[in-house]
This record gives sequence, C-alpha cells and structure tokens, in this order.
Amino acid sequence: MINTDLLKEYFPDVVVNEDYIFVSNNVFEILSFLKSKNYVDFDILSQIIATDYSEFVQLTYSLYSTVNNEFLYIITNVNTEATSVVKLYKSAYFDECEIYDMFGIKFIGNDKLKRLYMPESWKGHPLLKSYSNTDERLVWNND
Amino acid sequence: MNYLFSLFINYLANFGVPKEISYVVFPILPFCIVACALIFVVLILVLAERKILALFTQRKGPNRVGVWGILQTIADAIKLLCKENIEPNVTDGIFFTLAPLIAFVPVMVCWGIIPFSNEFDFISISTSALLFSVVAIMPVIGILLAGYSSNNKFSLIGSVRAVAQIVSYELPIIFVILSVCILASSLNIKDIILAQVSVYKMFGWYIFPCFLGFVIMFVSSLAELNRCPFDLPEAESELVAGYNTEYSGMRFALFFLGEYAMLFASSAFIAALFLGGFISPFGFYLSEKLFANNILIQIFIYFEQAIWFFLKTFIVVFLIMWVRAVLPRLKSSDLLKFSWKFLLPLSILNFIYICIFKYVVLVGGIK
Amino acid sequence: MTNLLKTMEINLGPQHPSTHGVLRLVLELDGEVIKSCTPIVGYLHRGIEKMAESRSYLQYLPIVDRIDYLGGFFNSYAFCDCIEHIANVEVPEKAQYIRVLCMELNRIASHLLWLGTFMLDLGASSPLFYCFRDRERILHIFEELTGQRMMYNYFTFGGVRWNIPDAILDSISVFVADLPNCIKDYENIITNNPIFISRCKNKGVLSKKTALQYSITGPNLRASGVALDFRKSNPYLVYDKLNFDIAINSECDALARYKVRISELYSSLEIVRQCLDYIRQSNDEVINKTLKPVILNIPDGEYTSSVEAPRGLTSCTVKAGGKNPYRVKWRTGSYYAVQLLPELINNSEIADVMAIFGSLDVILPEVDK
Repeated sequence: MINTDLLKEYFPDVVVNEDYIFVSNNVFEILSFLKSKNYVDFDILSQIIATDYSEFVQLTYSLYSTVNNEFLYIITNVNTEATSVVKLYKSAYFDECEIYDMFGIKFIGNDKLKRLYMPESWKGHPLLKSYSNTDERLVWNND
Repeated sequence: MNYLFSLFINYLANFGVPKEISYVVFPILPFCIVACALIFVVLILVLAERKILALFTQRKGPNRVGVWGILQTIADAIKLLCKENIEPNVTDGIFFTLAPLIAFVPVMVCWGIIPFSNEFDFISISTSALLFSVVAIMPVIGILLAGYSSNNKFSLIGSVRAVAQIVSYELPIIFVILSVCILASSLNIKDIILAQVSVYKMFGWYIFPCFLGFVIMFVSSLAELNRCPFDLPEAESELVAGYNTEYSGMRFALFFLGEYAMLFASSAFIAALFLGGFISPFGFYLSEKLFANNILIQIFIYFEQAIWFFLKTFIVVFLIMWVRAVLPRLKSSDLLKFSWKFLLPLSILNFIYICIFKYVVLVGGIK
Repeated sequence: MTNLLKTMEINLGPQHPSTHGVLRLVLELDGEVIKSCTPIVGYLHRGIEKMAESRSYLQYLPIVDRIDYLGGFFNSYAFCDCIEHIANVEVPEKAQYIRVLCMELNRIASHLLWLGTFMLDLGASSPLFYCFRDRERILHIFEELTGQRMMYNYFTFGGVRWNIPDAILDSISVFVADLPNCIKDYENIITNNPIFISRCKNKGVLSKKTALQYSITGPNLRASGVALDFRKSNPYLVYDKLNFDIAINSECDALARYKVRISELYSSLEIVRQCLDYIRQSNDEVINKTLKPVILNIPDGEYTSSVEAPRGLTSCTVKAGGKNPYRVKWRTGSYYAVQLLPELINNSEIADVMAIFGSLDVILPEVDK
C-alpha cells in the first residue's frame, strides 16, 4: 500500500480509506503525483469507471503499479465537467470519450473529445439513470 | 502444321468438300480448339487448386457437386454467368467494361504461341519465345485500366502494385529466356524444345545446365501471375480484392478465367523452356512401341507429345500451388527490392554463366 | 489543396476482411505509406453495460460470454468473481480447478485462432486451417461439457454448474498430449520462414514506456519486456498453487508478440495438466449451494475483479444494489490496444498495418461492448 502520510502532506484534503482514496477536485494533480517515479510509481491507468448517482456522477480512476503489483482507486464526484488526464495517461482518451458519450461529462483538456460508440447525432447519454431504453432517440444523418 | 493440314484437306476431299472451303475452315479451327481447351483446362485447374489446397490443409475440398466435387467449378461458372453485372455509378464506363477483355484476350494469344506438340502450334513465328514474353505481360494493361476505371481506392492501389510488380519481374524473365535461347541457338519455342532432345534422355533438358535460371524463372512467374507469395495486387487481407473489387458476374469471371489460363500458359512456357516441352522423358515415344504398324502413327505421336506436355505443365502448376499453400505474402516494397537487388543481378550472372557454358561445353571452345 | 492532392484518404473497414470484426480505420496515405490513422469503433456496440441495469444477476450471466466471444470463460469468471466477493461466498476448490482448466483451454483456443488469423492477415492460408483443426477439438470438448461451442454459460455464482465427467477429462488429456506436436509443426512452417520474419521483425515496435502509457496488458505487454501477468502478480483462483512460467520477450516487435503467444500455449498446457491431476483425484462438490442463484439477493457493495484474459487484463466492476446490478463496468484488453494502433502504424505501409494489427490480437466485440 502507498505511503498515505506523504500523500496527506501534499494534498491535505484527500480522504484515504482502506481500499480507495477520495478526492474532491484536484484529480489531475494527484494522478501526476502518484505516477511520478520518486514516490509511488503507479504507471498504468487501468480504467476509469463512471457511475451515475443521479445527483452526481462518480468517477473512479483505477491505477495499477507494475512495480508493487497493486491496484489503487481514486474516487471523485463530478457534475458536468471533469479534468482530462490524457496528458498523463494516453490510455485515458477512449475512457474519457466513452464517459462523455455515455454520461455527458465534458473533460476539460481533452481536445479531441467525441462520442465513442454512439453516432454524433444521438440524443441523450445512455448510461445515465434518467435515460430510458425505450425512447426514440436516434436521428440518422445521411452524411 | 503442314502434315495435319494435308491430312485434313485430303480427308474432307473424300467427302467431296472443295479445297477452298478447307482452306478457310482450317485456320479457324485452331481458335476454336484453343478456346475450348482453355475453358476446359481452367475448369480443371480451379478444381485441382481447390483439391490440392484442401489436401495440404487436411480438408476435403469441394465434394458435393458431382462425384468427388468434379462439377463444382461448372456450378460456380454457371452462378457467375447468371449473376447481375453490377456497375457502380461513378466508374469510367467504357474502360470499366473493356478492362476484363483486355486482360483476357492476350492470354488466348499466349495459348496460341505455345507448341503443344510437334504439329500443334498455331502461331508459329521464328521469335515466338520473345513474342510470348511480350504478350504475357499485356494483361497488366487490363488490370491497370480496371483499377483506374473502377474509381475505387483499393482497386487503384492494387493495379498500381500489379504494374510495379510486372515491370520489375519482367527483366529477370527476359534474361533467363535469353540464356535459354542461347543454349538452343534459337528464339523459336519449338526449336528450343527440339534442341533438348539428346542421347542423355531427360538429362538433356535445360533444367540441368540452367537450374538457376529455372528457379529465377519460376519465382518471377509467380510474381507475374500475381500468385502467392506475390499476390499483392489482390491481397485480400489488405486491399479487399485489389483491382477486381468492383467487378462482379461475368466481368469478374473474365479476370478469373484469364488468371488461371495465364497460370497454365506460363507453366507451359516454363515446361517448354526447361522441362523439354513435349519430348518424352524416356527418349522414345510409347506410341512408337504400341502402334508400330498403324498408318496414323504420326497422329498418335502428336497426341502423346501433347500428353507429355500437359503432364510437365501440371508439375509446374502443382509447384505453384504448393508454394501458395505454404508461404505468407511479401510486402510490396520488399517485393520490388527482391527483384531489383537480388533476382536481376542473379539472372544476369546466370546469363553470363550460360554464355560461358555454351561456349566451353556445347560448342567446344576448349578442345 | 496541395496536401489534398498529395495524400489519399482511405477507409479500411468496417467491412474489411482483416479488421477482425468491424473496426474502421481512416487512413491517410501517401503512396502506400500511412501518414495518419484514426480508429473509429462502435459498429458492434450492444450496450452490454446498460443491459445489466434491467436484468437480474442470473439473467445477465449468459450475456457476459458475448463480450469477448473467443474467451467466454474469462468474462464469465470475472462476473462470477465479483458476485462471489460481494456476497462473500467461498468457491469449492474443485470448482476453482475446473474454472482454471476451462479458462486455460479457452486461452489455448483463443491463441490458436489468433495464430491462424494472424497468418491469414500475412497471406498464408494453410496455418489457419491447421489452427482451426486443433481449436475445433477444444470446442468439441467445451460442447460436450457445457452444451455450447462459444457462449458457454457454465460458470455460475458459487462454482460451476455441473461436474466434469471422466470421459471429458480423458479426451482433454489426449488433446493435451497431442497439441505440443501440432504446435511444433506450426513453428516449423512459421517461425523460421524468412518471409514471415521479414514481415514481423522490427514491425510495430512497442516500447515499454508506450505500452504502459496506453495501458496495454497481457501478451502484448509481456512482449515489450514487462513481466506482468495477473495470474502471478495478483493471483486469483488457485493460480498460486500451480506451477507455470510466464513468457517474456523484450524485442518489442510483432515477432516478439508472436513468440510470447506461442510460449503461452505451452504454459497453458502445463497448467491444464496440473488441473487434470487434481480434478481426477478430488471428490469435492463443484458448487457452493449456499448461494441460490434463482432467488439471488446479494447485499449492497462493489467489487472489481481482475482476470488475465488472452487479450490482456479483463476486469469487471459490479456495483450491487437491489435486485439488478446498479452498474456494471467492463474493462477489456483490446479496448486499449485499438487506441495504440495509430501510434504503431504511422509511417509504415499498408501491408504492415495488417501485420501490426494482427499481432496485437484485437477483437472488436470486446472493444465495443
């Protein structure tokens, strides 16, 4: 497990739990701290999990360290905007596009953000709880 | 063909047919024979290829239509004939229709050039070996037209690849043909074949002095025929179907027919240059023993020669199919490098070696 | 305008013989050299994550096999593992061994299919049939065992649905004895083939740094010299009791990825052998009956399972709450490999695209979910 005291020293407002770390807004800084080799070396961003809790969308950044062979989950709550981490982990690009597609979260700093699975003309964001499966939401453009 | 010609005229004269009519009919006959034989051989080749590949990959191959799947190709051909001729809106109309024909017709000419036996040579000119090598690359014009007129990027890339490939592999072929011509002191294919008759029986074939040439010719022919491992113009995993992506129905069938007919013609050419063409490997013809007292013994010998020729050709065809079963495809840039940096110098070296060989051994420069 | 005339834009896919499904690549070509590449996915999107929200756990179980249809057992296990952890259910040891056996056989089947299609991408048709012939034997075994050739639905919450009959164990051991000779045959016609080597050597070089940046896992990462195998590093099931090697190669190119997968075939066979020995002599139950799937009522909670699938890390996150899962999230290996593609194929030729893309072992249902 990572040295939580060190993390607390740099970021006083994080909440460190048994198996995850909750942060309020500075995800980018924390991820770049965790990635840097001098401290903990979490070199893989395994995935970004988004969950819709109606009032907010919870993003879980799942980090993995190939040195210590352990996972670390960074959790943050967002509403409509989040900070992109593509500059840190290139693998985040598809994840962010997918979350934008499915949850409508805009990632600030991701210039090429687009819908990943749905057509650009699709209305709504399917994985939101407010989205209904039966709606007629597809408008095809013949382009 | 003089002997056959006189036989023919005399035979018709027995039934009271005027000689004038015979004069007209006789030149038309070869074309009919070539056309029928071509379609028949292609049908056999397609089935043979599928069966051989099936054997290599431990499958059964076509086995539903007819006994042992013999009618499968015919069924396929009927299907292709009945298919709708789809032509995309944006094609270059005339050339799109013309391209399959341009790709197919030279193949028929190639068939005419090859002497299948001492008498069965329909286009007999003194430089037929060179004529063959010129006509054999003409289908590429059709391929280029097809790629250009289809207005499809995959087709275009495929056809450009085909042109680059043929241009670079034609040179080694020419050098090998020249070296064989020097061995035989003739540019005529029939003379080249007859020059391989020797007291050493099958060891007089040019594959023995000129084995290197045979290998170069074989490899280059694979490239010219767009066969694996040089099937880049129609590499299905890269270019969908290459130059014939937009073709369907009979137009596609013409490309297909031309390809297999060319496979046979090229193999026949290799068999003629290196495997002694229509000469029997035993040094004598079986018909000479079997029909020694028959009046038509000459005719029997001609047919036996044709059979030997077909057998040898099928050996080369089998080799080509074997290669297809085993090897992966080359990359287009590697393909050109291989030709210009390896095969061409090698073929020139082979040419020089054959010149020396001819001077020293055959002519007897050193006594 | 000058740029327009110089380069040609070409659409590779979604209907293309060698995009392994329905990937669409928009390539910008200068002659045959690729200047830029944009992968476009989503043509096979089935909304598997959304489907979970309207189905009970048991109803969702057959669906997960379809995420990676070449490795159905891995998805099935990842999902079952989550539920078992949330509901705090022990899986009998024999069932764990059976799961490992099935997954390793499935890995062999998946790698064999990869080998065949990879060689087909390179233009060699015969290896495809050889590989399919051997894969067919595995599928026959699976069909006898589970009733299905690809979508098995054999693992269930708390174990496996039924015990393996002895007859199937026998046919597995015959297969395991035969396969090494077959793999040697493939290696004879492939590994030292100069054309194959020229197509793969130094093609698609994936450095360790790039691989980690793009979150590449599985054989692709191991071919870049990183010894990360979740069977070893974060052991699940009974992998810590089994004795096997993980294949690493630090040459980083397409050839290295081929070599890693070939040696994985051998190590999977080794695991299968050990599992067979255990299963033969064990008389345990194969399912923990405390968890009745039909009236499955599992407590709130969430868990993320991590499985070493043939195409990298497959992980399933289940957030449980109520009758249906509140949220299911799948992470698959190919998803990240597709992203990597533009990085690897820029400035190479069209023919290389197939070699590189094939060597990454991407299948699209896994990407599109």
